[in-house]
Amino acid sequence: MAKEMIAMLLAGGQGSRLYALTEKLAKPAVPFGGKYRIIDFPLSNCVNSGIDTVGILTQYQPLVLNEYIGNGQPWDLDRLYGGVHVLPPYQKASGSDWYKGTANAIYQNLSFIERYNPQYVIILSGDQICKQDYSDFLKFHKEKNAEFSVAVMEVPWDEASRFGLMVADENDKITEFQEKPKNPKSNLASMGIYIFNWDILKKYLIEDEENPESENDFGNNIIPNLLRDERRMYAYHFNGYWKDVGTISSLWEANMEVLDPEHSGINLFDNDWKIYSRNSGMTGHKIGQNAVVENSMITDGCRIEGNVKHSILFSGVQVEPGAEVEDAVVMGGTVIKAGAVVKHCIIAENVVIGENAVVGAMPTEDEKGVATIGSGVYIGENAKIGPNAMVNKNVKGGEEQ
Amino acid sequence: MINSNIDALGVIFPNSYDTLVPELVTERLMGSIPFASRYRLIDFVLSSMVNCGIDNISVVVRKNYHSLLDHLGSGREWDLTRKNGGLNIVPPFAENVVKIYNGRVEALANILAFLRGQKEKYVVMSDANIAMNFDFGDMIQKHIKSGADVTIAYTEEVLPEGAIASQNYSENLYYTLDIEDGFVKEINVCSKETGIQNFSMNIYVMEREFLIQEITKATVRGHVHFDLDVLIPQMDKLKIAAYKQEGYVARISDMKAYFDENMKLLNNDNLDALFSNPVYTKIRDDNPTRYIQGAKVKNVMAADGCIIEGEVENSVLFRGVKIGKGAKVKNCVLMQDTVIEDNASVEYVISDKKVHVTEGKKLKGTDTFPVFIAKRQTV
Repeated sequence: MAKEMIAMLLAGGQGSRLYALTEKLAKPAVPFGGKYRIIDFPLSNCVNSGIDTVGILTQYQPLVLNEYIGNGQPWDLDRLYGGVHVLPPYQKASGSDWYKGTANAIYQNLSFIERYNPQYVIILSGDQICKQDYSDFLKFHKEKNAEFSVAVMEVPWDEASRFGLMVADENDKITEFQEKPKNPKSNLASMGIYIFNWDILKKYLIEDEENPESENDFGNNIIPNLLRDERRMYAYHFNGYWKDVGTISSLWEANMEVLDPEHSGINLFDNDWKIYSRNSGMTGHKIGQNAVVENSMITDGCRIEGNVKHSILFSGVQVEPGAEVEDAVVMGGTVIKAGAVVKHCIIAENVVIGENAVVGAMPTEDEKGVATIGSGVYIGENAKIGPNAMVNKNVKGGEEQ
Repeated sequence: MINSNIDALGVIFPNSYDTLVPELVTERLMGSIPFASRYRLIDFVLSSMVNCGIDNISVVVRKNYHSLLDHLGSGREWDLTRKNGGLNIVPPFAENVVKIYNGRVEALANILAFLRGQKEKYVVMSDANIAMNFDFGDMIQKHIKSGADVTIAYTEEVLPEGAIASQNYSENLYYTLDIEDGFVKEINVCSKETGIQNFSMNIYVMEREFLIQEITKATVRGHVHFDLDVLIPQMDKLKIAAYKQEGYVARISDMKAYFDENMKLLNNDNLDALFSNPVYTKIRDDNPTRYIQGAKVKNVMAADGCIIEGEVENSVLFRGVKIGKGAKVKNCVLMQDTVIEDNASVEYVISDKKVHVTEGKKLKGTDTFPVFIAKRQTV
């Protein structure tokens, strides 16, 4: 039985701009929003949209991601036919290759798609926080009788030159593609989410692979080739919440926006569009006798005895008496010892912040940095970590960075 | 088999002592009573069994078991979706039992054929009225070492008022043990002794063959209860060992105990003792709990999915509880999806699932008599 549409999720990126956070794991596996990882968003979108077959293309540091995905059960993607499949590069009779680019990653797995013989293939990216109904997108694609559609967001004109832009006519037909242009002709930024007719995708991937000059990239090669051949290409306007969390500051910002769903538009409290995740299995969190908790999100297994203000705490975080946490993203299993001060920063998993240590600082006019502590790091007593620091090794007591 | 296999199967009776908490079991049974912010009572005994390598568990239900079936599903959360063994839920079998069974013997008679077909050497049996972190592995080891026919687990505690006060004796039989050198000399039925007693937990270990043989004999004679009809008449013949449970135990013997045991978990030592090993439960995929500007919380245990804008003190909040602006919640146990609207105030209240306390309403119980609001009620 053929599937109408299957999803291919690009999750091989290193996310090098997240530095210490992606040293041991791929960007899609980076924790987000108290109990999720970034990849939970596209996966949950798939399931909620009715897509039951997802190939996840991995390459960089896949161990955490592989274990996290497992058999796909938390997303209801453990299916007899279809379901979630992790697709790393593999050896073939004719040799083997790493994934050379986004298009090459899909090319190397054409036979995976072939097994399901779908009419459409949606290409997703594993590094965005977004709640999107892909079935609406597919409806648009069909209505336009398109061969290729791309989801686009309107961005402010003065930022447009940072994006890949789609120039489209009044019928949303794409006439031109500009990759990070100096003089933008459009403010429709590509979200990196594409729907292809399967036959078109296959044809262009094979053709692209035969060209030794190609970078094997969707943005740089496949889309320009489609344009060259005047294929039926359309831009689908998406106007919900969308955030590329490729940098420390955008990751921090997106987490903070979760605390203010009324204004930011990212609402995790949506029973009709749940975001699924692999559960920590910890008991309810506990707020102590002298704790102060203000405007924060706290999840299972946390023990709060200190002050927590405008922060997101992941499962099993401990905040000891007298510790202060503000504007912080504190990931699972981290312990903030008594008297420590943690502000305006991202602290990865299983970190220990020693007694009276100081991490980060509230932003000032000329200093807006988000301090970042990598996973498993030990910050000694009375150590001081400045607002621009990126720490991935233990810091001794009293030291400054 | 290798390391994890403990060569025992589990049998759980989730309906035992239902009538001690009539308010909580109108739409469920003892084992599915919500406890400790995100669990059901049966999670504790199930997880304890799973944690020590028992992966063939039968849950013998008697009545009102819809909520339990919904909770357990295929048993996946407890890692009990197995090809061999796994979770086996046994409802009453109409052809065999004309009436719903009243005692363990009748319930076990219902699964005799199943028990005969298993290969595990030992059987552990338990009710689901106690939240605990129980080491079945240790109990089985000690049972084997003692050479006893049966081992019974007990705690040393003062008999709870709820158990003693219960008028419905045939359903709520409880047992205390006279123990000498680790062996049971006497099993007392419904004792009213004051002071610390050896209070049976109704957790038993024995060989499967022994159980089959005793149940077969007892069924022929029309017997009902395991202690009363099987063990007590054979005290002189059987070697019955006693196993003392030292760890944390929360026994639900009436509404007051239900309230108190929830409250006790606000003490970190108790919480750590009860959850020193993982306890599994059904996943609801709630988002983390959100404390909105203006929320004031003190000494609170809360599960995921809550939205808190008001004041909460000394309380246990289950998943999806909403506390409105200006609302005051003190000394309460609020089960799943309870909504306390703006400026309402509740003190010493136990609310069942999906209770709605509308704007500005005030409800107050006392520490000895918490107010109970039944499932889906609006105040």
